[in-house]
Amino acid sequence: MTEANRTRVLPGLPPQVRRVREPVVAIGVFAILALLPLLFSGYVIYILPQYMLFGVLAMSLALLWGFCGMLSFGQAGFFALGAYTMGLCVQHAGAVGVNAAYLALVISMAAGTVIASAVGYFLFSAGVRDSYFVIVTLALSIIAEQIAVGQSQITGGWNGMFIPRMELSLWRWKFPLDSDASIYYVIVVFVAATYFFLRWISRAKFGKVLAGIRENEDRVLSLGFKVPLYKTATFAISAGLACMAGALYGTHAAFVAPSLAGVLFSTEVVVWVAIAGRSSLLAALLGGIVVSSISNALSAITPQYWQLVLGVLFVLVVAFFRGGIAGAVHRFAAHREG
Amino acid sequence: MAELLRAEHLTKRFKGLTANDDVEFNILAGEVRCVIGPNGAGKTTFISMISGHLQPSSGRIWFRGEDITRMPVVERARLGIARKFQTPSVFNRLTVYENVELAVLGTGRPSHRREARVREVLELVRLSEQSNRPTVMLSHGQRQWLEVGLLIGNDAELMLLDEPTAGMTAEETHSTGELVRSLARDLSLSAIIIEHDINFIRNLEAPITVLHLGRVLAHGNYDEIARNELVRDSYLGH
Amino acid sequence: MGHGAMLTLGAYLMWATTKMGVPFVLAALISALGVGLVGLLLEHIVIRHFYGEPLETLLLTWGFFLITTELIKIVFGTDLREVVNPLPGSFELGTVRFPVYRSLVALFAVVLIVAAALVFYKTRIGIRIRALMQNAEVASLLGLNIQLTYKFVFVTGSFMAGLAGALISPMLSVDPYIGNIFLVRSFFAVTVGGVGQILGGTLAGSFLVGGMETVFALVSSQVVAQTIVFALAIVILRFRPQGVVTSR
Repeated sequence: MTEANRTRVLPGLPPQVRRVREPVVAIGVFAILALLPLLFSGYVIYILPQYMLFGVLAMSLALLWGFCGMLSFGQAGFFALGAYTMGLCVQHAGAVGVNAAYLALVISMAAGTVIASAVGYFLFSAGVRDSYFVIVTLALSIIAEQIAVGQSQITGGWNGMFIPRMELSLWRWKFPLDSDASIYYVIVVFVAATYFFLRWISRAKFGKVLAGIRENEDRVLSLGFKVPLYKTATFAISAGLACMAGALYGTHAAFVAPSLAGVLFSTEVVVWVAIAGRSSLLAALLGGIVVSSISNALSAITPQYWQLVLGVLFVLVVAFFRGGIAGAVHRFAAHREG
Repeated sequence: MAELLRAEHLTKRFKGLTANDDVEFNILAGEVRCVIGPNGAGKTTFISMISGHLQPSSGRIWFRGEDITRMPVVERARLGIARKFQTPSVFNRLTVYENVELAVLGTGRPSHRREARVREVLELVRLSEQSNRPTVMLSHGQRQWLEVGLLIGNDAELMLLDEPTAGMTAEETHSTGELVRSLARDLSLSAIIIEHDINFIRNLEAPITVLHLGRVLAHGNYDEIARNELVRDSYLGH
Repeated sequence: MGHGAMLTLGAYLMWATTKMGVPFVLAALISALGVGLVGLLLEHIVIRHFYGEPLETLLLTWGFFLITTELIKIVFGTDLREVVNPLPGSFELGTVRFPVYRSLVALFAVVLIVAAALVFYKTRIGIRIRALMQNAEVASLLGLNIQLTYKFVFVTGSFMAGLAGALISPMLSVDPYIGNIFLVRSFFAVTVGGVGQILGGTLAGSFLVGGMETVFALVSSQVVAQTIVFALAIVILRFRPQGVVTSR
């Protein structure tokens, strides 16, 4: 590999970012996550997988927003779609011969991808502006939440839906994931796989084109790339991942309610990613995990003030620290080195 | 040399304004042509219709014998029509290398040949030294060259250059002229250049088309145009 | 993106002032002025640094929404609030019953839109605003005070959002999130109607969006109606991005 490529972290970040070896740090993070159940047990091990799935949700937004430049307020809608799909599939488990949970994962990913592709292509092929895309995703969240509430015979309406814990299976061998540790590991594997998958595509040709679209869409078009297809693909991938994460969340949390689909949760995701740093997958992942766990911890005590702090932090980040915490860290690291 | 592009009866009307009126134009492969005219003559409009950014009100355009009048920008780019804008349109936060890399990625070259091609293009536009610098740190002239590099890297056959030497030093302007001539001569790249710089135009030694109020006023080489009274009047009248 | 919060704020201020015994019309005025003031502060401290950066403005106004909503929750609590309808009852026109208050508000809204259109098209400040919309650079060269004009626009918009909230408050239960749905609806109303078309666009857009929703709600549920209207708006905008009403 030549000098130009060796220490690259992500396309599109200023050169000083390149020195920080993100994949090494990422492996470290996953190693720590994998070791935790061996050292601890109890509530932390129980709840951490949910936060990790929020981290995946955050990564899906980072792909869309940080890499391609398209902000979306609709990721929660896909997340909830996945959760409800899991609930429905497992509920009707008897009717299908296959492992219902596997089916749910496949169906939810397909559903998310198809919906996002349809809506995305419909909009992008007309060259719709980014700010308009944002409002459409906002509307999608609202629609998703309304459907979850309205179709109560399917979704349980405001009361939500209970979801049994899934099991792993391979032909006749079944392994129920009822214990905290077992489902913990399944989810860690999923999260790690998602991270490395996203990292792989971000550094391949696809990711480079996305960076170009983010920086100068017209120029990318003038270079002969079919920009609407790239945007649609990005939206579809991010939606599919959000759906799968939601499906796993559904079976882990054992319960899903319409608020998971709505605008509030969607905007929380944006806040996590904005504060953590939208251009870095790892930052988005950690941001999702950390901010949501803090929110959860504080919600019992002082929800309003924490949300207020988050709101102020969000405004500060948007106004002054475009790169979020990750950007600040990288600038600091570059300062130290250079 | 084969005919590369032909435009016939090209007209563009906006509400109440005829920006281009019955323009005829053709260019051969490996040929360089200049388009000049006072402000508001319709030069950029003309270029925009060739690149696909504007649709003509009437008239036709052929590229290599294929009618491209209704073809969208993306497909024309794939055919090899590449445009350089008045304000350099590059990827500001990417490095010089990454900029050209994107252009090369658009050509469908296999991955093992890409790097060599990027290096080759950087060498052509004299930006090899800056390959790792983010584009924001380039001088204005270097950014213009980078944009030309994008066009070359994208396997352009016809380059549409809109005021490529604007803001350049005399030395940079001279180099740009050399670059365009060598590209035409060695790589058979055609170029339609909109320019205002007299010295640049003269040194280019290319046929000149003068536009005025949307119409073609005159065709000819530098000496003929310089002597043409109509041309002189059109500039003085504005 | 912050206008939803301004509507909510208007509603809460209305509740607070009417609770203190202030007469309805005065209370509405005070609430609207209060929100206008908030808008002025927001514009001066934050927004004016970000003109020309639409995505940042969008996020910042969204941040404003987050902060305002939390503050509302802290100050007013999260219980539902009720504002007393000053004109209860309804009247009949043929076979249809019209609630008095709603009819009056609807009438007032139309008057307000026409007034706004008059200002926009017939006054000096209106010309300045339109000049700014078309070409900011030239406008400033011609001596237009850009900062002041933007401020005026933003504050007026905030005032109207607050007024809307104040007037809507008797019609529904007031909670910290009522602004949301109006935000999306009004966004679609503006874009479907035609951005910048103050009179024709706003009227057309509002009637289309609101009207379609009501009509659909007659044959199905409110939820389905809303969903269909949003979907339709998205489709309309995709094919006609400049809106239904455009300048000749």
